[in-house]
Amino acid sequence: MDDQALREQLQLAGYIADEGLATTLWLADELARPLLVEGDAGVGKTALALAMARARGRRLVRLQCHEGIDLSQAAYEWNYGRQLLAIRLHETADASAAERLRETDLFTREYLLERPLLQAIASEQPCVLLIDEVDRADEAFEAFLLEVLSDYQITVPELGTLTARHIPQVLLTSNGTRELSDALRRRCLYHWLDYPTLAREIAIVRATLPEAEATLIDQSVAFVQRLRREDLGKTPGVAETLDWVRALHKLRFTDLPEDPDGLMATLGCLLKTRDDRFQIGPDRVRQLCEGRRSVGVAEKAPQPAAASGG
Amino acid sequence: MSTTTIRTMPTAQPLAAIAGFAALLRDHGLSVGIAEQQAMVRAAQAVPLRRLRSIEAAWRAIACHDAQAWRRWPELFERYWHPQRVTGRVKVSGQTRPARDLRQVVQSLHDAMDGHSQPPRSRQAPMDAALDDTATANDEAAGSQAQGGASRTEALHDRALSQWLPQDLSTLQRLAERIADQLSRRLTRRWHDDAQGRRLDVRRTLRASLRTGGVPVHPAWRTPRRERPRLFVLVDVSRSMETHAQLFLRIARAFVGAASARVFVFHTRLAEVTPLLQRDSAAVQEKINAVTAGFGGGTRIATSVSDFVGVHAGAQLGRGSRVWILSDGFDADPPQALAEQLQRVRGRGARITWFHPTEQAPASQAMQACRGLIERYVRLHSLRDLALAVPQLH
Repeated sequence: MDDQALREQLQLAGYIADEGLATTLWLADELARPLLVEGDAGVGKTALALAMARARGRRLVRLQCHEGIDLSQAAYEWNYGRQLLAIRLHETADASAAERLRETDLFTREYLLERPLLQAIASEQPCVLLIDEVDRADEAFEAFLLEVLSDYQITVPELGTLTARHIPQVLLTSNGTRELSDALRRRCLYHWLDYPTLAREIAIVRATLPEAEATLIDQSVAFVQRLRREDLGKTPGVAETLDWVRALHKLRFTDLPEDPDGLMATLGCLLKTRDDRFQIGPDRVRQLCEGRRSVGVAEKAPQPAAASGG
Repeated sequence: MSTTTIRTMPTAQPLAAIAGFAALLRDHGLSVGIAEQQAMVRAAQAVPLRRLRSIEAAWRAIACHDAQAWRRWPELFERYWHPQRVTGRVKVSGQTRPARDLRQVVQSLHDAMDGHSQPPRSRQAPMDAALDDTATANDEAAGSQAQGGASRTEALHDRALSQWLPQDLSTLQRLAERIADQLSRRLTRRWHDDAQGRRLDVRRTLRASLRTGGVPVHPAWRTPRRERPRLFVLVDVSRSMETHAQLFLRIARAFVGAASARVFVFHTRLAEVTPLLQRDSAAVQEKINAVTAGFGGGTRIATSVSDFVGVHAGAQLGRGSRVWILSDGFDADPPQALAEQLQRVRGRGARITWFHPTEQAPASQAMQACRGLIERYVRLHSLRDLALAVPQLH
C-alpha cells in the first residue's frame, strides 16, 4: 500500500491528513520505526493514532504517560494476589503433594498482568501503540522506552525476553512540557503537526459535522483561522473549532451573525483563559468577523515624548 | 549546472549527493548520522518515481528530530536540491560543483536496486558505498558552501545581539538551564517520595502492602525536599540602557523558562512583565514598551527597588532568594537611597548580583555606597559574557 492509499483510508476513518503526514505515516510503517508527533494542544495528535488504528483495522493500545509512571503501570506487573492464592490453595488442597509447587510455577505468563507496552508486544494481531504525552513521564521511563522502541522487546527477569510477533506501529505524542532526550528522538521519525490550513480545517469540520450548514462552517472556520493570528495565551485548536461549530449549530445558526453579541456567549468554546476573554471583546469580534487585519496596539500608538531617561 | 551537465553525467553518484545533503544538514545543526543517511537511502528506494514529491516529506521525517529543525527544513532542502529556485544567492564564477538532480538520484538508486538479482545484497551494496562516499562528499559540500558566502564557523557569541538566530536562542536556553541547575538548592522542612530516600513512609508502605497480602514487598521511602531559590530579575529599560535592554530581556526570558524567575522592568517606576515573557510571542518588545510607555524620563533605581521589595516581591523574597539587577547603575534618586533600599533586600536574606553592560563595574556615587551589599558584579554585554559567568552564578 502506498501513501496515497493510506491517505484515502485515513479519510474514510474520519481523519483528513495532508500529503506530508500521509507519507511520513507510510514511511514509519515501511521502516518499522516509531513516529514522534509534536504540536500544540488540540491539533489532533491523539486523534491521528485513533484514526490510524481504524484505517488499518488494527487494535489500538494506548499508554497515557504521567509524572511518576513506572514499569508496573506501563509494561507488566506480577499478580501477587493470585500468586499468594495459588500457594495457599496448593497447601490446603493436597498435603501429600505428589507434585510440589516450584517457584517457576508461580512466575509464568498466567500470573503476569500485561500493561499496555507488553500488550502491544505480545499481541497476536498487529496493533497500533499510542504512547500519549511522553514528555510527562520522567527520564528514567524514557530510557526504558528505548529498549522497547528499538528492538520491540521487553525483558522480564523471571521469564526472559519477550519479542514482538508483529512489530506494532508506534505513535508517540508530545506537548513539549519537557525536552525529550536525543536518544529517544533519534530512534523515531519526527512530524510536527501544525494547525490545519483553511481548506483542510473546513474539510475536517465538514467530515465531522455533516449536518451543519456549509456557510456556517466556512465562515466560522475562517473566523477561527483569523483568531489564531491574534496574540492569545491559548490558541484554539481543531477540537475547539469543532466544539464551537457544534455549539453554533445547536443554537440554530445558519451563518455567522453580524451582531457580535450573539457570538460572545459561545466564545467560551474557543477562548479558555480570562486574559484571552478580556482581550477579545465585542469590538474585536466584529473586526475579526469582517476579516480586518489585526494591528499591534503599540505600533499605532503615538510615540510618547516622555519615554526618555537614564 | 545547466541541463547539458546533467545529461553528460547521468548517474551523478546518488549516494554522494545524499551524503552531501546530510553534510549540509549537519552543518546547520541537524543531527543526521550514518543511521539517518541509510534511512534516507532506503526511503528513496521505497518511494516510487512517479511520486517523487513525497520524498521531501519522508526525508524530513527522518532528518528532523525537533520543532526547530522542522522549521528550518524547507529552506535547506530547497537550497541543496533546487538552488535555482532560491533567490538572492551569491553566484561565484570559476569553481562549479557537480550537478544535482533529485529525480536522477532517486532513479539511479532504483536502478541499482533492480539491477541486483538478490534483494538483500542490493540493499547492502549502496550502504557500504554510502559510508565510503561520506568523507569526500563532506569536503565537497564544505567547499561549495563556502562559495555561497556562508562560512562554516560563525562567531556566535560575539555577534551584535540585534541579530538573533535560532541557534543563539538555543545556546541561551542551554546556558540558562545550566545556571538554573547550579543554583544551590535549599533544604525545606517538607518531605517527598524518593525511591532512594532514607526515611520509611510507614503509611504508604502499609497501603502498598495490602495488595501483597500484608507483606511489605514495596516499602516507600521519603527524603527531605530541596527547593530552588526564587529568582527575581530586575531589568533597567531606561534610555541609557536602550541598546542593551533587548539582550537583557532575552536573557531574563530564558530564565523565566528555566528557573521560573519573576521579571520586572523599571526606569522611573517598576512593572512586572513575567506573564508577557511566558508566552512565545513576537510582540514582546512592543508589549513591554506599552507597559513602560507612560513612565516618564530618568532612571530611579532606588524607588524601583523600594517598590519591588514593598509591593511586588512580598513574602517570596526570603532567605536564599536571588535578586539580579541588570543595569548600568546611573540613578537619579539621592545617592544614599539606593544603598538603603538594597539594605532592605539584604535584610530579607536575599543575595544581590549586579549585571552591568560596561567594561568596569558601575562606579557612580550611588553605587559606591552599596559596594558591601552587592555580592557579585558580573559584566554582561553579550552571550559570551553569560557563558563566562556560569561558574560564578550558583
